[in-house]
Amino acid sequence: MQPHLKRAFIILILVIIGFLFVRSFIVPGSFGQYGWYRGDSVAELRELPVGYAGSASCSDVNCHNSVYTIWVNSSHKTVNCETCHGPSQNHVTDTRTMPTPANDTREFCGMCHFKRTARPADFPQIDPDTHGENLQCTYCHNPHKPWFL
Amino acid sequence: MELSRREFTKFGCKIIIGAAAGTTLIESIATIDAQEATSSKNYDWTKHYWGYIVDTSKCIGCGRCANACKLENHVPFDEPVYRTWVERYRITNEGREEKVTIDSPNGGIDGFTDDIPADEVKKAFYVPKICNHCENPPCVQVCPVGATYETEDGVVLVDYNYCIGCRYCIQGCPYGARYFNTEKGTADKCTWCYHRITKGLLPACVQACPVGARKFGDLKDPESEINKILDKERINVLKPDLGTKPKVYYVGLDREVR
Ligand code: HEC
Ligand code: HEC
Ligand code: HEC
Repeated sequence: MQPHLKRAFIILILVIIGFLFVRSFIVPGSFGQYGWYRGDSVAELRELPVGYAGSASCSDVNCHNSVYTIWVNSSHKTVNCETCHGPSQNHVTDTRTMPTPANDTREFCGMCHFKRTARPADFPQIDPDTHGENLQCTYCHNPHKPWFL
Repeated sequence: MELSRREFTKFGCKIIIGAAAGTTLIESIATIDAQEATSSKNYDWTKHYWGYIVDTSKCIGCGRCANACKLENHVPFDEPVYRTWVERYRITNEGREEKVTIDSPNGGIDGFTDDIPADEVKKAFYVPKICNHCENPPCVQVCPVGATYETEDGVVLVDYNYCIGCRYCIQGCPYGARYFNTEKGTADKCTWCYHRITKGLLPACVQACPVGARKFGDLKDPESEINKILDKERINVLKPDLGTKPKVYYVGLDREVR
């Protein structure tokens, strides 16, 4: 091989090795493990903390079993505890941390129950101006068993 | 020390090759560690392929889904960004033409109030919206760095450590489902609560829905509730002509909904 070609060849190899060397620092280790992305990020996203524990976790005999049993047979059984009480996983893992108190205003019940044109007509709705004499809804309805149904 | 050019090149080559070999070795050891860490999880993503069903005829527009989503995923409440939101469609008669009014005040989180008198409204309904986790996601195609991807179990995710915040994906999404997270300085989106579904829980919005308008389940499991609905009901997806193949299926979708 002619020496000037050889020199060019060596420089090319050096450039490629240099590129690989720099690349091995910049590209994270798990990149390309599953596809054209950083494989570790899947595990990172799986490990994020959970906020909502789910109604079943309230049902333990040492916990809110009495509330749970009347709720589970009521017309509010499709309304999750935490939909009114807020995310409570921290309270489930450590009962000393209390969840935020449930919102018991008329407006909160009204988000689901005030009469609105766009709601399906068969959903139980009330006229906020006339129903319940402007008293708190919980004055007459038990939020955990709103009616004897 | 006197070095000829030949000796200098030889020496240099040796150092570079040695260093390259060394880093490759270290890298491969690190990868083995990482693989062991994920394999200790008993969630196997090859066994699942997730899907989502929205029944617009059931939705009562209470907005508890959008609220639960923000709480679960720490989406700022003081910014108009949503991973899921509820839209209201109201159709009124304007002469002989139909007029469609679409709104979503604060994503539906504060509920809706009637600002068009009920007797003028011909037809009205709510439509919950969420990332469609497309099989052909345009947002993944446009990402220049590989920071967003579709997982084996069919969820489109964002790598917050790798995203450079260029916002191409936000523009690329035909459903407006992505937003910019000002806290992290990256793009952000619905993950179908990936941290919940991989632990056997339901996404926060599905759990919060009081009327079962939102359903989530495994398309690979023939016995799953969503497969039963898909077999029985008339199903549509949003913007099917784009060929994005959404995995959020709608029951009772009106022609006005886009
Ligand atoms: C419709 C909304 C709603 C739902 C659903 C709901 N709660 Fe409540 N809850 C309330 C409200 C409002 C209060 C405040 C009590 C009052 O003012 O009478 C309350 C109070 C409580 C209290 C404290 C007072 C008491 O009665 O002991 C407990 C404990 C409780 N809820 C547990 C639960 C559990 C467990 C569930 C699920 C099985 C649940 N709640 C579901 C709205 C709700
Ligand atoms: C997240 C939405 C939601 C909230 C908040 C909510 N409810 Fe309900 N409520 C429902 C659903 C769903 C039903 C069951 C409707 C059905 O049977 O179709 C229901 C049923 C009822 C019923 C029985 C109606 C009937 O005819 O069967 C009453 C009464 C009631 N709720 C009162 C209340 C009160 C009082 C509050 C406030 C403490 C409240 N609700 C808060 C969703 C909600
Ligand atoms: C003064 C007591 C009282 C208060 C306060 C009250 N209700 Fe009622 N509610 C009743 C009675 C009695 C009925 C059954 C008779 C009827 O349908 O009016 C009822 C019925 C309902 C029904 C079922 C309606 C249907 O068509 O099936 C809903 C839903 C309801 N209430 C929600 C609420 C909400 C939400 C609030 C708070 C904004 C509230 N109530 C406050 C006494 C009350």
